[in-house]
This record gives sequence, C-alpha cells and structure tokens, in this order.
Amino acid sequence: MSWLLATPLALPFLTGVVAFLLRGRPAGRWISVAGNVALLAAAGLLMARVLQSGVIAGQMGGWPAPFGITLVADYLSAVMVVITAITALAVAVYALSDIGARAEKLGYHALFNFLIGGVTGAFLTGDLFNLYVWFEVMLISSFGLLVLGGRREQIDGGVKYVTLNLISTILFLSGIGLLYGMTGTLNMADLAGRVAAHENQGLITVVAMLFMIAFGVKAAVFPLFFWLPASYHTPAFSVSAVFAGLLTKVGVYALIRLFTLVFTGDTGFTHHILLWVAGLTMVTGVLGAAAQTDIRKILSFHIVSQIGYMIMGLALYTPFAVAGAVFYLVHHIIVKANLFLIAGVADRVAGSTALARIGGLYKSAPLLAVLFLIPAFSLAGFPPLSGFWAKYVLVAAALEVQGWIIAAVALLVGLLTIYSMTKIWAEAFWKAHPDGRDPTLAQLDPGVRRRLLLPVGALAALTLVIGFYPEPFVTFAKDAAAQLLDPTAYVVAVLGDPS
Amino acid sequence: MEALLAVTIGVLVAGAVYLMLARNVLRFIFGLVLISNAANLVIFTAGRLTPGEPPLIPEGADAPVGTVANALPQALVLTAIVIGFGLFAFALVLMFRAYTSLGTLQSDEMRVAEPRDDGL
Amino acid sequence: MTDEPNAAPAAPGLAGLLPVALSAVLFAGFLALVPQVADGGAIRLAWDWVPTLGIALSFLVDGLSLTFALLISGIGALVFLYSWAYLGRKPEFGRYTLFLTGFMLSMLGLVLADNLIALFVFWELTTITSYLLIGFNHEQADARRAALQALFVTGAGALAMLAGFILLGFTAGSFELSVILAQGEALRAHALYLPILILILAGTFTKSAQFPFHFWLPNAMAAPTPVSAFLHSATMVKAGVYLMARLHPALSGTEIWMWSLTIFGAITAVFASVVALRQTDLKQALAYTTLMALGTLTLFLGQESGYAMTAFATFLIVHSLYKAALFLVVGNIDYATGTRDARILGGLARTMPVTAFAAALAAMSMAGLPPFLGFIGKELKYAGALAVASEPLVVAGAILIASALMLAVAGVVAIRPFWLPPGGAFPRQPRPAPWPMLTGPVILALLGATFGIYPDTLERALVAPTVAALLGSAEEAKPLVLWAGVNLPLILSVATIVLGVTIYAFKLRLRAALARAEAALPSFDAGWDRFLKGLNRVAVWQTRVIQPGVLRFYIFVTFVTVLIGAAGTMLARGALPALPSLSTVTWDGLALSLLIVAGAAIAAVTGSRIAAMAALGVVGIAVAMIFIVFGAPDVAITQLLVETLVVVLVAVALLRLPALDPPGTRDRRPRDAVLAGAVGLTVTLTLLAVIERPLDRSLTDYFETASWVEAFGRNIVNVILVDFRALDTFGEIAVVVIAALSAYALLRTTDKRRPE
Repeated sequence: MSWLLATPLALPFLTGVVAFLLRGRPAGRWISVAGNVALLAAAGLLMARVLQSGVIAGQMGGWPAPFGITLVADYLSAVMVVITAITALAVAVYALSDIGARAEKLGYHALFNFLIGGVTGAFLTGDLFNLYVWFEVMLISSFGLLVLGGRREQIDGGVKYVTLNLISTILFLSGIGLLYGMTGTLNMADLAGRVAAHENQGLITVVAMLFMIAFGVKAAVFPLFFWLPASYHTPAFSVSAVFAGLLTKVGVYALIRLFTLVFTGDTGFTHHILLWVAGLTMVTGVLGAAAQTDIRKILSFHIVSQIGYMIMGLALYTPFAVAGAVFYLVHHIIVKANLFLIAGVADRVAGSTALARIGGLYKSAPLLAVLFLIPAFSLAGFPPLSGFWAKYVLVAAALEVQGWIIAAVALLVGLLTIYSMTKIWAEAFWKAHPDGRDPTLAQLDPGVRRRLLLPVGALAALTLVIGFYPEPFVTFAKDAAAQLLDPTAYVVAVLGDPS
Repeated sequence: MEALLAVTIGVLVAGAVYLMLARNVLRFIFGLVLISNAANLVIFTAGRLTPGEPPLIPEGADAPVGTVANALPQALVLTAIVIGFGLFAFALVLMFRAYTSLGTLQSDEMRVAEPRDDGL
Repeated sequence: MTDEPNAAPAAPGLAGLLPVALSAVLFAGFLALVPQVADGGAIRLAWDWVPTLGIALSFLVDGLSLTFALLISGIGALVFLYSWAYLGRKPEFGRYTLFLTGFMLSMLGLVLADNLIALFVFWELTTITSYLLIGFNHEQADARRAALQALFVTGAGALAMLAGFILLGFTAGSFELSVILAQGEALRAHALYLPILILILAGTFTKSAQFPFHFWLPNAMAAPTPVSAFLHSATMVKAGVYLMARLHPALSGTEIWMWSLTIFGAITAVFASVVALRQTDLKQALAYTTLMALGTLTLFLGQESGYAMTAFATFLIVHSLYKAALFLVVGNIDYATGTRDARILGGLARTMPVTAFAAALAAMSMAGLPPFLGFIGKELKYAGALAVASEPLVVAGAILIASALMLAVAGVVAIRPFWLPPGGAFPRQPRPAPWPMLTGPVILALLGATFGIYPDTLERALVAPTVAALLGSAEEAKPLVLWAGVNLPLILSVATIVLGVTIYAFKLRLRAALARAEAALPSFDAGWDRFLKGLNRVAVWQTRVIQPGVLRFYIFVTFVTVLIGAAGTMLARGALPALPSLSTVTWDGLALSLLIVAGAAIAAVTGSRIAAMAALGVVGIAVAMIFIVFGAPDVAITQLLVETLVVVLVAVALLRLPALDPPGTRDRRPRDAVLAGAVGLTVTLTLLAVIERPLDRSLTDYFETASWVEAFGRNIVNVILVDFRALDTFGEIAVVVIAALSAYALLRTTDKRRPE
C-alpha cells in the first residue's frame, strides 16, 4: 500500500531531477511530459485503490502511526492528486511551446515538477509537520517559477507574493508548535482525538484560528488574498495556469482537512467565521474582477471569488455542502487552469491580454472562441457545464439549512461572474481588433499550435464530461464529504482499529 | 523558565512584526530572520525545556538514562531552521534583484505589477 | 441600423438546409402526437441524469407543451429556410445556424421538460444561445451591449428562479413537475409559498420582458431579423409565459398570484402598446407589440376561469403566427430597400406583391379583424377579461386600449409601407425577396386566416388540450367561434376597431406627443447604463481600497487579521492564561532572554545597517545558546552555522544596497509599533496558556525506547531526522536545493529594461 501512496509523491521529484540534469536539451522538456504521464498513471492507480477499499494509509519507513509519518489517501486526497496530475500534464504539454529556451536552461522544468511534488505531498500526508514541509517545497518552487524570466513586474509581484506567503508560513509553523505543545502529537488522525479530549477548548479554538489565518493566506480568502492579484498576472502563462489551478487549492484543501478532522469542537464559532469569510471573499473577489481590464487580472480576482464558494461549502458543514465544496474544487482547478492557458494563446495570436489592445478572436479564431466559451461559461455557472453543478449543489445546500443570505450572495456573485466573463468575451473575441488585423490560430507554427491547443482542448473536454455526465462526480463528492464529516474511517486507517 | 521564554518570544515577535511593516523591504528581511527565530523558539518551548541533558543514548544502554531533553521538537526545529534558511536566502536575493531591477527598496514605490491607475 | 443581409439573391450551400429538414421532421413528429394528446393521453419519457440530486431528463407531452413544441418546430423550420436565403452567404452563417439550431432544441427541451432542474438547464441554454445570436453583428458596439443586457437581465432573473426551483423542489419533495403539480393545495399553504412565487416570477418576468424588466427586448432587435422573429416574438420570450402556465395548477389561485400577474401584465400591455406607436423603426414597433402580447398573456394567466385560459391558449397561437410573419415581412422590407424606417417606406406592393399579401393577412389577424384567428382571439380576450372576478372593467379597459393601439400599429407596419406613397428615398432600389424568404410569411399568414375560418380544428387539437393542462379538464375550454352573436365582446371589438382607426389617423400627432412624454420620463435603458457605470464605480472603489498595490498595507492587514483572529478568539472563548510562575527561571536563561530582547529592540529601531546586522547576530547567537542550555546541542550548531551564513549573506547584499532610510528620514511608526506589540503580546499569552498543562510525551517516549533498539542510533534527534521522520528531511533538503536553484535563476535573469 505504501508504494501506491509514495509514488505520486516521489515521481515529480524524480522527474524534476532528471529534467534538471537534461535542462536546455530537447529531452529535458519531454522528460517533464513523460514524468507527468507517469504521475497521472500513478494517481489513477491510487484512485482505483481508494475507490475499491476506502481510506488507505501507508506508514513511511514502517514506523507505526503516530510515531512516524503516515501518508493517507481518502477520497478527497485521491481526487486532488488525480486532478493535480491532470493539470500538471496539461501544463507540461503547453509549456513545450510556452517556455523559452532561457527559462528552460535555468531549470523551469525542474522547478515545475518540484512544485507538483510539493502539491501532491501536501495532499497525501497525514502529518501536520510534514504538511508544513510540503507547503514549503511548493512555496519555494513557486517563488522560483514566479520570478523566472526576471521581468520587472515579475519581480514586483514576486516581492508581494513572497513576503505575504512567508508570513503565512511562519504562522503555520508556530501553530504546529503550539498544537504540539498542547497535544504532544503531529499525526492528524491522532490530533483529531487528542484535540477533542483537550481540557482547554478555548485555547484550541485560538490555535485553530491561527491555522485558519495561515491557510487563509494560502487559499487567498478575504482579507488575506492581496498577494494573488498582485502577482498572478506576471509570470509565464504556464506558470500562472498551474498556480491558478493548484496553489490556492492546497490552502483550501488544508482548511477542509483541518476543519473537518481536527478543529471540529467549536464549529459554531469557527465555521460561522468561515461563512462570513466565504461571503466576503466571493463578493470582494468578483468586484475586484469587475474593475479589471486585463484578462489575467480578471481571472486572478475570480480565483479569489471562487475560493469563497469552496469555503462556503466547508463553512455550512453539512454533507451536502461539503460535497459541494469538493465538487467545486475539482471543477474549478480544471476550468481555471484552462482559462489561463487560453489567455496565453490569446496573447500569442492577438498580441496582449489587455482587453483594450486586443479583439477579433471570435471572427478569425473560432476554435479558440469555442475553447474559451466552455470554461468561461462553466465558471460563470451556466448549465449544463461543470460550474453549474458546483454552484447548484452549494446553493441548494445553503437553502437546505435556511442559509438565505449566503445563498443569495452565491447567486449574486454568479451573476457578476457572468458580467466579467462576458466582458472578456465581448472585448477580446467579439470586438474587432483595434489594429484592424485578424488574429488567427493559423499564424502559429503547426507544432506550436498543437501543443498549445491540445491541453486546452483536453481540459475543455473534461469540463464538458463533468457537465453532461455529472452523476459519478456528484456521487463521488458526496462520498468524499461523508468521509470527511465522519472521520472514523480515516482515523482507523491511520491508527488502526482501537478495539 | 518556559514562561520567561514566552515573554522573550513575544518581544522578539513584536520587534519582527514592527520590522516587517517597514517601508524598506530590507527591514522585512530582518524581521523575517527574527520571526523565524521566534517560531523555532515557540516549537522548542512548547516541547518544554529540560536543562542539561541532550537526548542521547549512552553506549551500552537501550534507552536514555534519566531525564533527557525532548528530542522531537529538536528535530522539528532543525528542519525548520534549514527550511527557514532556504526561504530567507531566496527572499534576500529577491530583494536584491528588486533593487537592481526596480531601483528601490521602498515597497511603496514598487508599483510595476499593480500600477497606480491600473485600468481604472 | 439594418442587418445588411445578403447583397445578392442567395445561392448558399445546401448544407444550410439541414436544420430546415431537422425542424420539419420534428414538427411532423409532434403533429403526429396531436390526436393522442387531444384525447387526453399525455406522453411521458424519462431518463436518469443525476439521480443523486433528484434530477432526471424527463419529458412530458401534454396539450400545453405540445402547443409550444409545434410552434417552436414549425416556425423554426420556416425561420431556418428564411435565414438560409437571408444570411446564407455571410461568413459566419455556419455559426449562426449552429446557435439557432441549439436554441431551437433547447427551447423544445424547455417546454417538454418535466423536471424543474432539467427545465432550468434548457432555460439557460436558450439564454446563452440567444446571447450569441443577439451579438451576431458582434463588431457593432450596440449589438454587444444588447446581448449583454439580455443576458444579464434574464440571467439575473434565472438565478433567482433557480433558488425558487430548489425551494419548490424541497417543499414538494421532488423536482418532477408531475409530482409538484399534484400538490397545489399543500404548496399554496406552505410557509415558503411566497418566497418561491416571488423568486420564480423574477425569472419569468425577466424572460418574458414584463415591465419593468422589459427594456432588454427592444434592444435585442439588434439581432438579425429572423432571430427576432423566432426568439423575440414567437418562442423564447414566451418561455416565461410558458412556465407560469406550466406552474399554474400548482401556484395559482392565491391573491398574490392573481394580483401580481394581473397588474404586471396589464401595465406591460398598455405601456408597451403606447410606446409601440411611437416607434418609427418597424422592427422596434413590432418588438413593443410583442411586449404587449406578453403582458396580455401574463394577465390571463393570473386568472382561473375557463374563458381566460381559452383566451390565453388562443392568443398564444394567434400571436406567434402573425408576429413571426410580420417580423419576416419586415426582414423582407429591409432586404428590399435597406431601411426599416416607417417614415420613408411606402409603395412597395408593386415590387413585392407576395410580401404585401402576407403582410396584409398577418396584419388583419393582428388587428383582430374577422375572419382571422386574431378576431377570435380578441373576442376571447374580452370574454376572458369580463370573466375576471375582481376588476373586469379595468382589465377589459386595458385590453381595449392595447388592442386598439395594436390595430394602429398593424396599419403602420403592414399597410403604410406597401400601399401608401413613400416618404423619402430608399437607400437602395427595391428588389423582390427570393422564394425562401416568402414561404415563411405566406404560410404563417395563411394559417391565421385558415384557423379563423375553421376554428374548431384548432380548438380540438390544441386549445382545449392546453386548457386541460392548465385547469385539469378539457371541459373548461370555451368554444372558438367566429360569430357568437351580438354580445358584449363583439361590441367591444367594434369599439376597438373604431378607436384603432382613429388612433392610426392621428398617429403622427400622437407620435410627437409620445416622443415628448418619453423624453420627460426616466428611461430604463439609460438606467441600465447608469447601473453598469455604478457597478463599475463600486468595483473600482472597492478594489482601490482593498487592493491598493501597497505592500505595507497588505502586511498590516494580515497582521491585524492575525491579531483579531487570535486575541479576539482568546477573549471570546476565555482562553487567557493564568499569571505564570517564574520560579524556574535560571540566571543563564534570564541573561540570554535579555540579550534576545535587546537584540530585537535594536534591530527594530536602528537606522544603521551595521547595528541592525549586529543585533540580528546577537539574537541568533543567544537563541543558539538557549538551545545549548536546554539540551539541544545539535540544534545549536545548526543554528550557529545558519546564523553565520545569514549575516554573511546580508552583509554581502548590503554592500550593494543603499541605506535603510532615505537621507534625512527616520523610521518611526507608532501605529505599527502598537500593532507589533499587540501581536507579540498575543503570542506570549497563547504560549503561556499552552504550557499551563503538562505535555504528553508519548511520542518522545517511543523514540527514546525505539531509537537504539529498532533504528540503531544513539542520537535520538538524528534518528528522528533520518529514520522516524525521514520524509521531513527529504522535503527539507528539497527546499534548500530548490531555493538555491531559484535564487540562482533569479540572479541570472536580467530585465533589459532599466529602472526609470
């Protein structure tokens, strides 16, 4: 069982090292693609196993939990690993034609795969301190990727990104120290029991808030999201796509994990705060997007807004709502990464991502228009695309528990999302190009075109599949939520049966 | 003794936060160094202080003799120190590059990614 | 503004006729179901879709849905044929056809769906396709604006409606309409009835452009004319009406239902017919008469009587036939002359006799003249109005005004352009429209006449079954007859014609008066612009406030959040520690603590780089000493090593960096100091609270016993690092390596652009 869990974690590092050794050579970039194909296969095997036998755990080095480090995969972890692999593969292919020789020489592919390794590690670990380590791997790789290329706006965005994330890191680390001082353990399944048994529940809630804020920065929730809109529009398109898809979601994952497994003693307080955070995040994010005039900046603020939906699912804390959060996570990663990739293609053919400076894509690049419409309308929540089901489940879950206000906010934010998605559509696609030229996909070299559009098309196809055939995904999300809200299976898988 | 360290850590954090809020990003780096120390001390203190004996197992014994310091927080702190150094080193290089590329260390003047009247 | 249709008579690809065939086949299929449905046999088909959520692709063919399905597929076939000639040579005709086909199928799905959520899915698909179709002339800003407006207004309503659907589904225990409709009593008595009703009406009123949500519809005329004929008169805008009819058995019969539909319907009908007369663009005039029709239909759905429902069913069909015909007629006029301006057009009967013929027939149906179906429709409207229990005269009066104005508008659209002399020069020499553009108007207009003469066919086939779907029994349907004897409706009809002709005669003067009145009243369309502007202003303001681009603000807010989160919770949850005992304090511990405090203080306030570096070094060394004092020599060694590196790196960097403070300034920030102090205090208090209770050392106990026996190491810390928690160490090494890689890459990249 251990190898099933360790492979998705080890593969990206292996890929990264080989890619580094071969950097600058053509083989180097294909290693990245091959490694991510293997990662997808490993993730698929893991998922198959989890579907078959429920939560699985592996004790690294053979040391029994809670003494060693345990890797665990429940439905949520497994699906996050699969979706990470899918995103990574898509971006790896896209990067073949997106990343310049200079950045490759400086180790882009290595950094990219290390990032993925940090992400899968964070999803799979069952140990709080180990989670911190994977967070740091992910963070430092993202630093490197963000500023690779060294353009001035990258450096500027990088300063904000780095400083704010470092504060979050320190907070996380201190929180671990304090929690260890109270419970004497680091294993999350073990923590679940010991936190619940602790005499000073008020103090537990204080520490829970530290974690909420630390992960809140990573997840980019209100009022901690500043670093995201300050930086996500600056790096290479491949980089912003993988960031947009995965990084904040690791923060959301950590919030879901800790606030369903460990900090559940005072949900009236913590989850109520989360509900406020969710609503404010949705609204401020979507209004931020409405104010922007650059495709990537619009999309960046939309990430913030949509994180709010996921937090809303967690905050409502019912099986239906948490299922909605899980579904939203999966849907969002695919759609958001794809939109950033499409922004890159638009930039290539039309010359910019600033809406005022481009246009004409609908007329002369209809294929790109279709590929944009699918994720864009999905994001806006139009049926029958994946985003509709995600929003539907969350709104229904809110209405089910008489959460009128949050349901209204979610719907209203959906409307404003439509507004800014159609702004991109109207300006970049419908409007004529201000220079009077016709930006066509044909102007791209055929090989480049294939490598840019293949991942975009694949992710769009996935969006359609989830949209038209949502049943298995909804069922899965419901099962995942059931596991999260009743962590017995998780705890037993990690610590063994107490009886 | 833990209580005294708790107070010390509080002062360390206060100094660090004050530095991090400064205009000059180099002060942020100084603050980062201080607050990393503070975080390590939090872990160390939360794991309780045992004066004297390091967690070693003497030759011939199967376990430490008598009370020794708590080994686990030490291991965590070691990891955290090294990771913290990696992050610090990168952050320092970034600030250096920020100066060579943006021409300033004053964060208020770093407005390239988010220009003042950006699309508004 | 015109559509600029094909410059030459069309000979476009035959593939463009595929949708014609598709819709014709669908129409034939639906037609074949008429006998069965007329006999009361509804047909239901269902497939699972998302059973976990109770969502099925279930379809119901009954009188109501079949009537709509026939209108959609039948008019669809004619519109596709028309479009083929009208737009077939445009480069984007392929996409147009795709969207229009998608629209038609969605619309069919909408009216046939028997599951609320499935219905919603189709509902939104019509919204999307309509957005893309209104924006057909996408390089024109007007078209883009109109497309967004339609999408936004109907989208907003739809989202409210979705909430209503969900609540309705929860309340009824199912999303299946057949189940919901059977529970009318219980639903109307439920506490959530009112919110459900309001939310759903928000959807139907916006979609069917009821006042005050009407403004998007006239703007949607930016779409090519066949699109307007299909979507914005015959089908899509009737989706809201359809849904109200569909839910009539479940939700109607309450005061609130009756009044809201009656009032909104009546206002829309009268308002729209008045404004219609003011229009000079033929298409705009038709758009407003469509609003009038939608208002009238809504008004009838507010009622319960058999007369009202019969009037609803009949007028629904009548209106779709004549209005689609007239839109296509206007398309032909546009095609022929290059203009749609009623003030210029005239004398076209000679050039385009067939169009003129169709126009005349359709207009007479619209005007409600015998023997057209419109006449019967109007008679029923009056009968229906008079059967309204509460305010029959008000309702009848509203219908009288609206119908008279309708007659006048019919004159403007269908008489003047063909039979009266032109009012100016046309943009182009008039030319006849090709046959595919004549087929639609002629067939639709002839149907209006045929059903007028043989109304009982229609009654048996569609009207009675529709009424049955609304009221539960076909018995409730009232007969459709041309001559019902001299009765009140007939008298009102005569009054309508007299009034209508009078209005037509005075139309120019009325138009001028209306223009003045309109200029004086607030415009909803301008309100839309103000709304968007306001939205943008709020968005910009908010973004300036919370994302000002200033790093210090970001850090400040982050620490404030930390403070409120931790300290606030500590107070709210009573987690403050007791006063600590300092009895175990040792002298060396105290000395080191003081050293750290002094170092931190100096580093914080000094303006000198050397002093700051020295202070950092002191803190680092003191921390290392603490590790030594408390049994952690390995940690101390690492700490010293790292501290040395830190200081060296900072020193190297400082050599090439400017002073900490710009010349002549000092770094004094009282506000920041307060925040920093508070955060520090919070950390102290939290830590004090943590150490109040003894530590559970079970993990360490295990490491102490297993370290040598099982892992063969005597240095427990090392064993933890390389064995028990080896994965941490692997990650740690990765971080350092990646940091080096990243830093190297960062130093090696140079931005060619120099700082300003």
